[in-house]
Amino acid sequence: MILRQVRQLLYCLIFLVFSGCAQKTTVVLLPDPAGQVGHITVANKAGSVDITHPAEATVVAGQDEPSAPEILTDDEIAAKFSKVLAALPAQPVHFILYFKTNSAELTEVSQKSLPLILQSIKDRKSENIGVIGHTDTVGDREYNLILSKNRALAVRNILVQEGVPAADIGATSHGKENPLVKTGDNVSEPRNRRVEVVIR
Amino acid sequence: MKIILGIFLSLVFFLAGSEHCLAQDDSFGIVKSVSGEVVIFNAQRSLSAVPNMKLNQGDSVKTGGAGSAGLIFSDDTVVALGPNSEMKIESFLFNPVDQELSFVARLFKGTFSFITGQIAKLAPKNVKFETPEATLGVRGTKLLVEID
Repeated sequence: MILRQVRQLLYCLIFLVFSGCAQKTTVVLLPDPAGQVGHITVANKAGSVDITHPAEATVVAGQDEPSAPEILTDDEIAAKFSKVLAALPAQPVHFILYFKTNSAELTEVSQKSLPLILQSIKDRKSENIGVIGHTDTVGDREYNLILSKNRALAVRNILVQEGVPAADIGATSHGKENPLVKTGDNVSEPRNRRVEVVIR
Repeated sequence: MKIILGIFLSLVFFLAGSEHCLAQDDSFGIVKSVSGEVVIFNAQRSLSAVPNMKLNQGDSVKTGGAGSAGLIFSDDTVVALGPNSEMKIESFLFNPVDQELSFVARLFKGTFSFITGQIAKLAPKNVKFETPEATLGVRGTKLLVEID
């Protein structure tokens, strides 16, 4: 009886040791849709490897140090990753709408972008749209938080009037903290008076 | 002892979670696409994933043998899980106003593809993916991970 338990325990241990050793992590770097190639550092207690070129890969087996970088062929990548690459959603689409100074009223030019936004919502079958209000740096922080919020709500209202369900739209506001064009404080900058629309 | 520790940890998790809820809606992403069996779960609940389901701090995503899932996060990061895969979002903070930027995920098994978003651009040091064998520091791009 005890012998059998000991034997079972031994099998468990052997399984654990071998499955632990057999397991490995493979990391592959690819260019993003804009063609940019980033930089990944793969590290464990035994060492660290940087991969920096398109299709470059490193493998970490068990507790060994990461393997030297190696370029994989398209076929090697497809064999392991075709399913997970096919399941990757398209990146969200961004639009920027500009506003008149010190106001939650769209500029005439930006009013003309509204049909493009509505079309994109349809094309992506999006039920998750973010509107993020921003201001330029004229005025204090609190004032601009309110102004940026009013801009976001104005865009939300326009989309709702055009038939987008209100529940699909999340409105947030960043005040003057997240300018498109970096300026000093108290600088009037039309490109920063904006609402970003993110269609997910 | 283990049970007491478990209760304590769930309590800490619960309190931390509820405090965050007071601050704002803490969902940071959505399920964009689902194929086959996909489950979203955390300490409190487990749900079959459907498109547009929201993801929150501490949620895990798990796919079945024929499953796959596509996720979109609020900083434009897009993620896919292939069959038999599991990941947990340990921390996701995208709040440029207060300079709170962090993306930490634990990858347990399976295949993953990522295109990283604005957090990786604004605060690359705060993007970390942990696998059973290694830690990945990611400075902006598309990457693939397989754990087998």
